[in-house]
Amino acid sequence: MAAVPPGDGEHALPYGGEVLVLWLAAAGAGAGAGRAEAAAELRVRRMALGAGRFAHRSSGAFGVRGRRRDAGIVCCGCATHSPTGVVLPCVLLRRKKRSDAVKYLLLSLHGSNRFELSCQFELDYELKEDVRLFGGPSVLWRHADRLFYISPDTRTVLSAPVQLSSVVWAGEIEGEGTVVLGVRTARLRESEAEDELSTSDRAIWGTEFFGYAIEAQKMLASTCFMPHAYSRVVSSVHVCKSEMLKEQLRTSVVAVTHKNQLIWFQDGRPKGVCELPYEKPCSIKTAVTSGNQLLLIVSFASGNICVVRSENLQVASKWQKVKSVLVDDFVGSGTEQLLLLFKDDSNADLLNTFKITDLGRVNYESGINYEDDVPAAEGLQENGLLTIQALEKRLQAGLTSVRELQQHLGLKKRVLTESCRALIDLVEERSHVLPTAKKEGLVSLWDDVENPPHSLSKETSSTSKVPDHFVEKLWQRVVGESLVVGVKLTESFYLSLSDVSLSLVVDQDFSSISPIIECRNKIIKLNKAFSALSVSSCQIEPPPKKMKLDLHSKNDLKKEVHKKCSNIHLEGAKTVTAVTSLSPLLAFHCVCCVVLLHAKKQKHQNDGLQKSKKITLLCGKILLSLEDISNGKYSVKMLRDSSYCTGSMEDILAVLAASMRFSFQIQSSDFTLTSVNSWLLGEMECTPFKECHDHIFCHKAGNVYGTVFNWTLKSPFEGILTLFCRSLTVLFQCLHSLTRVLPPSCDVKLLKSGSKGVLTEQLALALEKEMLTSRTSLSSKESKAENSLTRQNEPGKNISDAPVASLLDSEDKVQQFRMKLQNEREESVLNMNQTMNGTLYQEMTLKIAEAQLSSDMIVWRLSKS
Amino acid sequence: MKRRRGAAPEPGCLRAWAAESEALAGRWRAARCAGPRGAEAAARQQRGAFGELLLRMRGLPAALPALPLELTVVYNSLLFVMGTSDRVVEGEAEGIRQGLLRVLEACGSSGQDLSTEELWQKVLQEVTDEELRAPLHRLAALQAAWWLATSRLRSVTGLFQLLSSAEDSGRAPCSRGENKLLALLKAWRVPAKGVSTSLVQSAENLKETLCTAAAFLQGLQELEAGNLPAALSLLQKAAGGFCSKRVLAQIYTCLGCCAQQMGKPQTALQHLKRALQVDFQCLPALSHVAAVYQELGETDAELQALGLLYEALEKNPPSAASFSPYFLIRTELLVHTPILTSLLRRRQPSEVKYLLAQRCLQEGRVADAVEHYLDFLAVLQEGLQQQVPLDGGSALPRIPEAFLEAASALEQDGRHRDAITLCEEVISRTTDLIPRALLLVEEGLEQPESPSPGMGLAGGLLSQKRESLHCLTWRAAAYLHQGWAWVKLGENKEAITQFSRCLSELLRFPLCGPGAEPTGNLLAEVEVLQKIRLLSLIGRGTQFLELGKHKEALLDFQYGLQVSPGDPAAASYLVQALWKLNRKQEAAAHWQKHLERPTGEDGQQEGQGRPFPLYLVSCVKQAAFPQRESLARSIQDYLRTMSQDPFS
Repeated sequence: MAAVPPGDGEHALPYGGEVLVLWLAAAGAGAGAGRAEAAAELRVRRMALGAGRFAHRSSGAFGVRGRRRDAGIVCCGCATHSPTGVVLPCVLLRRKKRSDAVKYLLLSLHGSNRFELSCQFELDYELKEDVRLFGGPSVLWRHADRLFYISPDTRTVLSAPVQLSSVVWAGEIEGEGTVVLGVRTARLRESEAEDELSTSDRAIWGTEFFGYAIEAQKMLASTCFMPHAYSRVVSSVHVCKSEMLKEQLRTSVVAVTHKNQLIWFQDGRPKGVCELPYEKPCSIKTAVTSGNQLLLIVSFASGNICVVRSENLQVASKWQKVKSVLVDDFVGSGTEQLLLLFKDDSNADLLNTFKITDLGRVNYESGINYEDDVPAAEGLQENGLLTIQALEKRLQAGLTSVRELQQHLGLKKRVLTESCRALIDLVEERSHVLPTAKKEGLVSLWDDVENPPHSLSKETSSTSKVPDHFVEKLWQRVVGESLVVGVKLTESFYLSLSDVSLSLVVDQDFSSISPIIECRNKIIKLNKAFSALSVSSCQIEPPPKKMKLDLHSKNDLKKEVHKKCSNIHLEGAKTVTAVTSLSPLLAFHCVCCVVLLHAKKQKHQNDGLQKSKKITLLCGKILLSLEDISNGKYSVKMLRDSSYCTGSMEDILAVLAASMRFSFQIQSSDFTLTSVNSWLLGEMECTPFKECHDHIFCHKAGNVYGTVFNWTLKSPFEGILTLFCRSLTVLFQCLHSLTRVLPPSCDVKLLKSGSKGVLTEQLALALEKEMLTSRTSLSSKESKAENSLTRQNEPGKNISDAPVASLLDSEDKVQQFRMKLQNEREESVLNMNQTMNGTLYQEMTLKIAEAQLSSDMIVWRLSKS
Repeated sequence: MKRRRGAAPEPGCLRAWAAESEALAGRWRAARCAGPRGAEAAARQQRGAFGELLLRMRGLPAALPALPLELTVVYNSLLFVMGTSDRVVEGEAEGIRQGLLRVLEACGSSGQDLSTEELWQKVLQEVTDEELRAPLHRLAALQAAWWLATSRLRSVTGLFQLLSSAEDSGRAPCSRGENKLLALLKAWRVPAKGVSTSLVQSAENLKETLCTAAAFLQGLQELEAGNLPAALSLLQKAAGGFCSKRVLAQIYTCLGCCAQQMGKPQTALQHLKRALQVDFQCLPALSHVAAVYQELGETDAELQALGLLYEALEKNPPSAASFSPYFLIRTELLVHTPILTSLLRRRQPSEVKYLLAQRCLQEGRVADAVEHYLDFLAVLQEGLQQQVPLDGGSALPRIPEAFLEAASALEQDGRHRDAITLCEEVISRTTDLIPRALLLVEEGLEQPESPSPGMGLAGGLLSQKRESLHCLTWRAAAYLHQGWAWVKLGENKEAITQFSRCLSELLRFPLCGPGAEPTGNLLAEVEVLQKIRLLSLIGRGTQFLELGKHKEALLDFQYGLQVSPGDPAAASYLVQALWKLNRKQEAAAHWQKHLERPTGEDGQQEGQGRPFPLYLVSCVKQAAFPQRESLARSIQDYLRTMSQDPFS
């Protein structure tokens, strides 16, 4: 190799598969002290790969006027030569003049190693920052925060009308020509600057990108490259692809940042990030290698290189101590490779230690000859590639056919369902009696329940005694749109009643309207933990005999309640309330109503059969005037007193009576339900009533204010939430809010008619009652029949009554026993053939039917819940 | 948001990130409905996706307006990290630290060198931005979870003190004997949920989980420290908190153990019952139930519990901790201490079977014991490796001991030939394991306490010696059992052979004179050996007696008394032998020497010293002298006549 050039001034440039080494030499190549004073000469040497090393192909030179000392290569690169349209290597040379001015020469190198002077210009400062070559060939640079460039047309220095802090990229964009992408301080629009809450990138990070088209001398929208936010961190950018699609610039951009990340942007949006292995990335290049793979090559300030694969943004390889990295097709395989030139301490030839790789099949290292095995590997690789392509095609074809099949199946399914529906219609047309009959059955069942058949027992039974003083308190409250009238009964009297209800009758004589006011009746039980409210008409009273059992359990409950709450707590159970719409009454300005109590009075007969009699009692009168209402006399007062909600018992009852009640059974399969309580006390801002702690009042401002909740945990995983709310909207609001805090594996179920457990218990009682009814009625029939019979043995004695074991002691006794058995058998045979009178039978069937009805009803409710 | 009309909204990063975060959270909500397995895969995906989003966000300089979102993404991403980690959470939450550093960076401050605790202090004191309060508090809750998982309770307390003091310094949480950390946690007001940020697990939920975990963890610590009342109250608090069925059952189990340790077995049973009601998979509760019943002496109930446990273990192989898609951070991830692991140790079926057998044998339910022992041996045959737990807490003895116990049970059940076969197994297995003579043992016994320089070597040697001694014991015991079994079968000669084999086996270990009492590490083993020797001598002696070889019998009984001076059985037999040899005076003398005073000495003998292995109990019973009364009567008659007529 002739004339080893000084190492420091060598520039390597890939061009057409060759490496051009450019350097400035002293003309005449004379050695010695005169070299610096000698005239400068730009020399080029073309090197090409052969036999495992770069060999010298040809060289050229260009004489630069002026001393070698004053001249220097600013930069070199490849750019379009506009007269011919060919991309040529270009070199920007600097030559100091005697004055402070510096002269710059832009040369392009033609194929015959001939340098052509493209343009020259003079500046009074040195080019340092962001110098870039672009098509023309031409050059742009940044100086004193301004962008200058040589116009490719006029060959004069121009400046762009922008203040900028750096140029991150310059290159060709389709339709826009040469475009410069730079960073400048954000210039906020007035509205943006004022708006403190502005979330725009520029407002947050304070800098922005700008695009400038050099040919058109205009600013471009820059957000199609990268979000402005990145203008603070980006150090180098490479635009991989840019095309106009429907008048929109679509781009793929890759950038490296000071935060040591490589970021891939698609149409201005970040699509992927790769953490870089070294600090301070300074530039990024790309290479398209075999298989159309795009490699992103990042150089770092420390001289390290790393390569990132674009498809997964993973670091594929990295090297240290790299002088420079060039990208071109050096081996002539048709795709690009990386040429890594390593730093060499020997300071010998630039191309002494190198490595060529595409991270695939091509792998050259200086000094090692791979020529032999390359073709074989190449062939294999290609075969593999072809196989994969073929397989891909087959896969796609398979996928398409599967999709077609699926569509076909869907179609068939639709046809089938349609035909089924048609068939059902056809069938239904012929026998459309069936569904209505079903419906009728349901309705009749319900109607029977609504109007229970009155007892056949004698109407003239002993007159039930009504105590003189049975009303403890009569009160009224106005809750929203409704009037609530409550009657508190004495406890002993209340316990003797069933099916209690109230009715309001207008006292004055208004001929125009009916005196009876329509109202809803409610009995609210606050003492019982669950089924907090039960409407009296729906409550099925268990038979008195069973009451014992039930009472027993109730006593237990009461005891518990006593422990927890105050005495007043039980009062709610004795209060009957009636709710009616207020506004029709207010039309009269002042109205007086009579409050009537209707109930069934129970009494116990000797045989234990329950008989009841309907009674109607006058409870008192209420006076309602608009003035009182305006004065707030009847309004409900709920106050928040530290951790309790204070309000009188009447107020609480009034609110509960006027509200809609919904009970939800909440069951969690895997997690405890503590969140409900924290939701009630936290988010809903509820506080419990001082009078009854298990009901809590919602103080949250807004629609839900005034809603009353009752949350009863039956186990850590199951509970019943009862809501008393003004409207369905409130209910949905509450439920919506609740569902967010519930463990998602929760099952929330609306309890329409009592919880399943309670109903099951009731069903058991009803079935028992049914059984008892049939037994008692049959035995009563038997006893009547017995009287009419002449019998041999003494009445009322049964074998089964005597202890059998004692009878079997001796032979005599066994004989006795046998006799008795014989007698009884005969008797029962006689009994079988008995007749019975009509009224007795009627009565009996009615009772049995009644009992069956009640159990049926519970079954129905159970099935619905 | 105000925006000038006409100006197109630019695709700002903040908005894009917010949308992406929202989309990810939405996708997660959809995915977790797809059942645990699908959700677990989805969670792993989400973990990656949130991590990637965070990476992108951290690619830009920290800016105050973007930080609330960034901290929320940190929160979500770490939830997935914790929720999908297979192992116990360890170390610092690097993500939280980075988040805090970013906050400081945005505020123009730095804290690279600070510890995480100091970093929190700095951030909470310096950052006053209202927008950052909620995300910082949420992140703090996450930090608390991290610290709880590593049992750094003091750091958690400190952090929540900072949080509450930042909130309002006036209202200090009440502390009338209440746990400080729990009070702080309860008093912490969960920040209101932001408008634009979606959390994959709500802070309220996290708070409740923290409360439960903190109570549980502290309860366990108190339990470990022995402060039982404190432990009980803390565990009760934990039981009232938010947790899964599995954890609730665990808490109840711990409550049960705590109550048991407090000497309240009935309460303990109630808690354990509740544990099983909540989650029947919590089988450790069942083994604790058995332990409580044993303590109460209710053997039937105990055996029932053990039987149930065995059945349950057979049916339900241990399931791995299930992934719950609903809550990424769960109490079970935060509470793992050694004591909990030991309390909740899941017994192996083989272990339970053995316990059943052993308890039956101890309680004298021989037929049941035989059944269980045979089942146990069958289990051992099936596959030893999987069945036998190798950790220290196992209830299983060494396998030969189990064999010997089984043989003992068989023998007591009258299945003598089976017992002999089983013992033969033990003998054949131990043949090659015992050195010719255990001279080393004696040397070791001479100076067992002397601290030698090579302690490790000496220890190894000692354990080796002990092992040989064990083998010898088992082998001898097997011969002993065989001997007694032959006795029961009426084969005196065969029995004498076995007893002799036993004695010759024992000869490998030189007899220690009564003066040279063995001391030190191997004392227990040596005592057992001596007992076997005694029982064997008595056995052979009785057989000689039956064969009429009174002199040989006398010799054996004399040896027996030498081995174990004052042993009532040996002494009684000796007296009988002398009596039969018509050496009545000697007999009477021996009687007076050994046997006259104590009358109910059998019980005393049982109570003395350490209990012998279970497999020797039946032999001890068999070796007891049967006709004590008649012998006593004849001796006393003789003594009376002697005193009346001293020259006859």
